[in-house]
Amino acid sequence: MAGRWAVFLSVLVLLLPVIRAQEAFRTFTTNTGQAFAGRLVSYEGQTFYIEGKDKKLYPVPFKQLSANDQKYLIQVAQLGKVPKGDPRTLNKKDPSPTPSTDETAKDSDSTEEKIVAKPAPKPKPKLRSGSFFAYKPVNLGQDPSLALESKQVSVLPGPDEPVDFKRHVLPILEERCNSCHNAPYDKNGRTIHPKAGLRLDTYEWVMKGNLDNTVVEAGNLEDSYLYEVITLTEDDDMFMPPKGGALTPEQIDAIKRWIEEGAKPSAGTADTTSDMTNGISFHDHIFPLLEERCLDCHGEPYVKNGRTIHPKAGLRLDTYEWVIKGNLDGTIIEKGNFEESTLFAVITLDSDDPEIMPPKGDPLTEEEINMVKQWITEGAKENPTDTFDKPVENNVEIASDGVNKKESIVDLLAKRLKAPSKPQMEAAQKSGALVTLLSNRHSMIRAEFSSGPNLIKDDAIGALSGIKNNISHLDLSRTSVTDSVLGEVKKFNNLTWLNLKDTSVTDRGIQNISKMPYLTYLNLVSSKISDNSIETLASIKTLQEVYLWNSEVTENGIKRLRSALPDAKILF
Amino acid sequence: MKSDITKLDELNRREFITSAAKACLGVGLLPMAGSYIHNNVSALEPGSRPATARYVIYLNMTGAMSHLDTFGTNPEAPDIQGPTKSIATSADGVFLSENLPETARHMHNSAIIKTMVTSQGAHEQASYLMHTSYLKRGTIAHPTFGSWVSKLSGNINTTIPSNVQIGANPAGAGFLESKYGPLPIGNPSAGLANSKVADYLDETRFGGRLAMAQKMNASYLNQYDQKQVRAYSDLYKDAIKLMRSEDLKAFDITQEPEQMHELYGKSNFGQGCLLARRLVENQVRYVEISRGGWDTHDNNFESVAENCADIDKALSALLLDLEMRGLLKETMVVLTSEFGRTPKINPRDGRDHWPYGFTAFLAGGGVKGGTVYGKMDKVGRNPAEGKFIDPASLNATIAYAMGLPLKDVQYSPSGRPFTVAHDGNPLMDVLA
Repeated sequence: MAGRWAVFLSVLVLLLPVIRAQEAFRTFTTNTGQAFAGRLVSYEGQTFYIEGKDKKLYPVPFKQLSANDQKYLIQVAQLGKVPKGDPRTLNKKDPSPTPSTDETAKDSDSTEEKIVAKPAPKPKPKLRSGSFFAYKPVNLGQDPSLALESKQVSVLPGPDEPVDFKRHVLPILEERCNSCHNAPYDKNGRTIHPKAGLRLDTYEWVMKGNLDNTVVEAGNLEDSYLYEVITLTEDDDMFMPPKGGALTPEQIDAIKRWIEEGAKPSAGTADTTSDMTNGISFHDHIFPLLEERCLDCHGEPYVKNGRTIHPKAGLRLDTYEWVIKGNLDGTIIEKGNFEESTLFAVITLDSDDPEIMPPKGDPLTEEEINMVKQWITEGAKENPTDTFDKPVENNVEIASDGVNKKESIVDLLAKRLKAPSKPQMEAAQKSGALVTLLSNRHSMIRAEFSSGPNLIKDDAIGALSGIKNNISHLDLSRTSVTDSVLGEVKKFNNLTWLNLKDTSVTDRGIQNISKMPYLTYLNLVSSKISDNSIETLASIKTLQEVYLWNSEVTENGIKRLRSALPDAKILF
Repeated sequence: MKSDITKLDELNRREFITSAAKACLGVGLLPMAGSYIHNNVSALEPGSRPATARYVIYLNMTGAMSHLDTFGTNPEAPDIQGPTKSIATSADGVFLSENLPETARHMHNSAIIKTMVTSQGAHEQASYLMHTSYLKRGTIAHPTFGSWVSKLSGNINTTIPSNVQIGANPAGAGFLESKYGPLPIGNPSAGLANSKVADYLDETRFGGRLAMAQKMNASYLNQYDQKQVRAYSDLYKDAIKLMRSEDLKAFDITQEPEQMHELYGKSNFGQGCLLARRLVENQVRYVEISRGGWDTHDNNFESVAENCADIDKALSALLLDLEMRGLLKETMVVLTSEFGRTPKINPRDGRDHWPYGFTAFLAGGGVKGGTVYGKMDKVGRNPAEGKFIDPASLNATIAYAMGLPLKDVQYSPSGRPFTVAHDGNPLMDVLA
């Protein structure tokens, strides 16, 4: 009998640590003010392991928690309410709910600001197998099997599991990309910037891309440059990662699926349709939509690599005041009247219209559009309980230094177009044209025939047709072109500047360009243009400058042209 | 020693050949560090922002123009103004000296910086600073602004050099490859001298001579088939391309009708401006014209009036001609000097050297028309409005309008870093 008791007692003793009561969930606050709900699981040294409600383990340094929490932790530790040690080593049999390493969790969640000062992870040296240095050291008292187990850096999503950026994609990027595409960090007093100005260390940066373009287009695999470079052939110059071989097919698949599923920050977000029965609220309904689809371009100005990036079109949509204020061109919301509201107009354009917003990704869904429509109809209120005629506070300063500076037509056109590729530019040079971007951050092109223009005939323009939409400036002055060249020129839809000085172009040719939509500068100095072209020129209402000196136009013709285009500068 | 600047209105034959060979052919007579080797001319590089001024015509008043009697009059300070009166211009509230009645008609397209300052009071050093943005040193030759333009943005017209200097030659390409240095033209009416095939050489004989030269070079080329050796034969090709090119006509002002010559005035400076307009029409990016005769220590008012008659005619003709041809929008015309002259009139009725508060006149492309930046106080020593603007900042302003990368660093052979406008900041007040 006593023996059975002894067995029972010893079992009880063995089980004691297991049946020790779990700590209750409580709210922890960090000293930076972030709060999260969690349950203390164990501690080791200065690190406390806290299990979140998502069953993930967060190792939190003692010092990062608020004084209140620190008091609690000391109390718990002194009373021995939680065990000592890393919970993953404590319950080896229990597969940890997040096999992803603690580092990923820490990086992505708790210490965002610290990333800036952190150098990129050092690439591991490649060692010959059998080298002394290839053996991993095992610390005394550490379980060798655990230490030698190769660190599993990325978790691959299950076949039907939605891909989660933080759990599945980020670890791949950290492992293979972030030694070059990391946050800027300080090395021997110099700031090391990410290569190509591209950061892949947080969701926001991945989606932002770099100055050249975005690298991920949600839902659009073909336009996602990130996917393109990892799937090139390995001998391609642009193949990524440049070192250490290609990503595994599983990793590529994870990235592919993530992009196809809409490149969301976490699996299953983008649910903006919360309760709308009490009317639409800016903060609860509209703002999350704006945040997801508009703020990439229409956010607050920010500094990137030392340059201030201003919101596109000088339009900010990041606060209620800004949305109501609109930009220099005018307001975008007419309260109560969705038909007059530019915001509503641009989101409801045809999906192939160049003006549609958002310009990237799918158009807004019907529910989203209806929500915006309802919100405007209800008076575009900040809170549904506000009265319709709530006066808008007028003290929001219009952002200075040129955010709202009126943009020229060329700049507006440039925003719609991508710069042509190098081979396209080279092909265009074939005809003897000099083809240059207006600036290295501009997608519009100036084409000119500068060297030996007398040798340039009508056919030379053919070589430009591949980039014709990008050509905003075309200089044919001094060339041997004739009227027929203008039949081609009229197809250059986005032309704003046309120089036909010292050419044999006549009235017959000029008729071709009467429908050019954006032409602002036209130089016909020393050409064969006469008064017969005045009607054609007068019909191009966008013209701001016309030069007709030494042409065959008479004073009378100029008078007619000046009255038809009163705001244009007409010289003759 | 008489300074080169006052002396060098025309170049002698040897100087001409040296600099022309450097600019056209990329041959330095003192080849160092292999940097003089000519590559195929670089094509135009897009700038970091769209250029508002693609071309620059820089009118350099050597010998220090009296700012008070030209672009920097101060009607509120009769003590320092002397007999020179101010006249109204086409821009409201902007005044010029009575010596510049024609230029006054173009003020709505022009801007004046009235608070220029320089640290140098001697002609040569000050001119060097104006052109290079750096102080003259014994250890290094800095590139002139035109050479920077040529280096940083390349040629629009690839047949002819993109940097042309008419009249005196203050400095060259410095440590940059000599092909970026200015192509010198001594006498604008003569055009580009020695660039035609001689009359006695017909095409066959010329071809024969070239073939013979190639034959003689062939074994050397085979033995040393290197980039630098090949580059030398490319020079010949480029030179011949220029010789036979229609673009050579750009240098020939005799093709202009007589009334054009008269419009600009028959002086060297006027004809230089006419040539500059032809060159800009042929897409030469940077043309500088020097005009001396401004060192008016004696008899200032008469000399200035005389000089002004010449520059007023030429400058107004240039602005008008550029505008009629639709070129003014893209062409910046700059007129300035290495420093100014004293507000105090000396006993010989002259004005002496004065580095404070001289003027820079900017017109055309990229310029905010009708603006005046700054104002000097009644004694002409300190700005009453605005800040002092140094030569580097003037160059930065021009470079900004041309879309040049202000931060682009070029290294001298000794490895020291230099930029187009040194530490200058563009003066946005005068830019459109």
